[in-house]
Parts: sequence; C-alpha cells; structure tokens
Amino acid sequence: MKHSYIDEYSGIDSFIHRLDPRIKIITFVGFVFSIVFTKPTSCLTFLLYGLILGILIALSKIPVRYILKRSLVVVPFALVVAAFIPFMKQPVGGYSLGPFGQAVSRDGLMVFWNVAVKSYLSVLCMILLTASTCFSDLLKGFAMLKCPQLIIMVLSFMYRYIFVIEDEFMKMKQAKASRSVEDSKWLDVKALANMVGVLFVRAYERAESVYLAMSSRGFDGTVRTIHHFQITAADMLFFSAMLALLIGAHLFGV
Amino acid sequence: MHIPDGFLSTGTWVPAWLLSAGGLGYSLKKTAQAMKDRMIPLMGVMSAFIFAAQMVNFPVMGGTSGHLLGGVLAAVLLGPFAGAIVLSCVLIVQCLIFQDGGLTALGANIFNMAIIGAMGGYLFYKVLILLMPSRKGIIVAAAVASWFSVFAAATICALELAISGTSPIAVVVPAMAGVHAIIGLGEAVITGLVVGFVLKVRPDLIYGQAFSHGAGASSSPCGGMLGGAPEEGKS
Repeated sequence: MKHSYIDEYSGIDSFIHRLDPRIKIITFVGFVFSIVFTKPTSCLTFLLYGLILGILIALSKIPVRYILKRSLVVVPFALVVAAFIPFMKQPVGGYSLGPFGQAVSRDGLMVFWNVAVKSYLSVLCMILLTASTCFSDLLKGFAMLKCPQLIIMVLSFMYRYIFVIEDEFMKMKQAKASRSVEDSKWLDVKALANMVGVLFVRAYERAESVYLAMSSRGFDGTVRTIHHFQITAADMLFFSAMLALLIGAHLFGV
Repeated sequence: MHIPDGFLSTGTWVPAWLLSAGGLGYSLKKTAQAMKDRMIPLMGVMSAFIFAAQMVNFPVMGGTSGHLLGGVLAAVLLGPFAGAIVLSCVLIVQCLIFQDGGLTALGANIFNMAIIGAMGGYLFYKVLILLMPSRKGIIVAAAVASWFSVFAAATICALELAISGTSPIAVVVPAMAGVHAIIGLGEAVITGLVVGFVLKVRPDLIYGQAFSHGAGASSSPCGGMLGGAPEEGKS
C-alpha cells in the first residue's frame, strides 16, 4: 500500500533541513504569529513575508510544485468566506462586480484579502517547517521545548501506527472490492461500517499486545530517548536573521 | 471544518486555545489516572485508528462527499476523556502534517471537534441511553449523538468565524449548520452501525458497558470477530 505523503521530502540535504529542529520550530511558529498579527493594510509587509518565504523555499530544495499543491488546502475555506462577502452590509464604499452586479463592500473585500493572504502565508510556513523536518525529529523538538510530554508520546505512538492501521484498512477495502459485486448503497454502507468495527477491534487488540510487549520489557510509563540535537553557529545566525527581519517588518511595515 | 490560520481574530483564537488546553489537560489527567501506563500505547494506536476511520467517505449531495469525524465514535468506544485526547491527537497531526487547520486556529479546532464534538456528544449520548437503556438504545443514542456532535461543532465553528468578523453571522451560521445537518446524517448512520457491530462482537470494549460476554471474552484474541463479520476480508 502506498503512503508517500509523510516525510516525503524530509530526507533532502539542504541548509533548511540541517537546521536544529528546535530553532526551526521557534522560527516558523514565530513567523506564523508574526503573519497573524500583521495589519491587513500593510501590503509591503506581506510582500516582504512572501519574499522571505520564497528565498527559504528555494534554499530548502523542496520541489515548488509540491509546496504549491500542498498549499491549496486553504482554498476551500477561503472560497467559503468569499461566498459570504456580498452579504456583508457596509454603508460606505461599495463596488459592483460579477455578472449580476452584486454589490461588494470595501470592508468585505478587506476581510477577504486579510484572510486569504494570512492563511496562505501561514500555510507556506507550516509546509516549509514540516516538509523539511522528519516527523519524529519534529516531535522531539516540541518535547524539548517543554510541550506536554504525555501528548508528545501519544503522538509518536500514533505516528508509528498510522501506517499499520491504514494498511490494514486499505487491505480490507481491497478485499471487499475484489469480492463484492455492485450492491445496493445500503449494503455498501453496512459493509463499510462493519469494516470500521473490525478495524477498531483489531486496533484495540494490537494496542493491548503492544502494551504487554512493552511492559514485559520494563516499560513504566515514560519513554526515554537519546537526543543528538545541537545548536550550531549556523542555527544562531539563521535565527537572529529571521528575528531581525520579522521585527523589522513590524516596526517599519506600512 | 478545519479552520486555517488568519481566519480567527486574536480575541477568538486565544480564548479557544486556553479552553481546549484546559480541557485537554484535564482529560489527560483523568485518562492517566484510569489507565496508568497502558495509556500511551492505547491512546496512540486508537488515534491512528480514528485517523484511518476518517478516510471513510460517504456521498452527501450533488457529488460532494463528507468524511467521518469520529468524535462520538471515539467517545462511545473509549469514554469522553480518552475520546477527546484521541480526537485532539488526530487534529494535531492533521495540522502538522497536512496543514489541515492552522496553528493559531488549532485551539479552536480542538475545541470544536474534540471538546464539543467528542465530550459534548458523549454527554448527549449518556442522557439518551439513560432514557433508552437497551442494546438498541445504545445504537440509536450513538447515532443521534453523532449527528448532534457534527451539527454542534459546525455551528460553533460558524459562530467563531462570525465573532472574528470574518463572515456575517446571519449567513454563515445557518449555512454551516444546514450543510452539516445533512453531513451529520452520514456520520449518524456509520457511527450507529459501527457501534452496533462492536456491541455484537466485543461488547466489553464499549466504554461503560461491561455486560454479556463476561471476563473470558476479552482475553481471547480475535474473540467474537469470527461471528459477525463475513465482509472483513481476511484471507
């Protein structure tokens, strides 16, 4: 079964990939915050953000096609907001566009611009962070930045078993597809629900045997990992450059 | 329903983050007390299960399709606190790996789908099974509660957008609620059937329902599965 969507490009060797995961997390999370807190009217600041992200993407050697495809994830939500804009009643400054001459208020357009540019830039940030770091390093980074240990451990187990459980589900689907003739819709739904049920029972039993195997090897509720993260001069340089740029963008943004 | 970054105002996403961090923290404490060291592997594998179960697509209307949310399903099978943890983990992974939902909006997404969707849905389910204390009652309660959870999560999501000034309240709330009232029907049918199936083959695995099979059933691997699943496709 194929799952190529996690860690597809995290193995590339580039400046961005080599950065310490902790530095990357702080920088990109800070970047997202910086984007969210920017005034919607500061077009130049957004342009600067776009420029920085463009340079970082080029540095990371991750295929631009992949990043663009991934970033489409925000489009449906932006469209929903766009659809509601004509309904925003504002007394001043209306434009009339569209085939039926719908009145679109200036405030409505401003709301759409605000939401569209911020969500798109933020999503680029997150793609860059997660595509350039393998998931286990990302989790370890979050853990070392004092994120709640329990949830990180659950997440790392989840990551380990996502593929296993999904594989099992795909196999069941394939087996069903290869055996059943076009049934009625209802039977189809019923079979699907039963598959989910079987999947649950099997997953639960798997979890139990995993737990038993772990406790027989001395698991006491905590997971200890070796960390080999090291903050180098390049990390500090990258971090201070980004910090200066973001603060500068906020101070001098128009 | 995964809100991206930038759609919520600071006055909305910060309180939402605090509320869901509090809810999640409390759930973690409760679950850790109940499960002890079993918690980490069990919650991890169950999160992966809900993640896989969310791949179940069902046609809604006019060619669009909805996918399973699994909030009430997780809560009915694992209990409200564990259900909320599992849903939160799924949302965190979706945010980090698939950019489905933004980082600042993650708090709001967890609030809508894990706190309201799983915990709130479970409360509704609990009230319903008090009214109908039977096997059928559990299935019907799970179905109705899962419809309600999808509907409530969508309504609250719309309210958050309206409070943030992103969408006008008079349009976005009825629109989101209306669409999800229909998507919720698919969720209700699937959740009801899955709960019915588990009730038939491993009733001991359903949270708070330790009846019929007795203690022996849980220790036999693949215990009741041979009984009710001709479609499972094990070759």
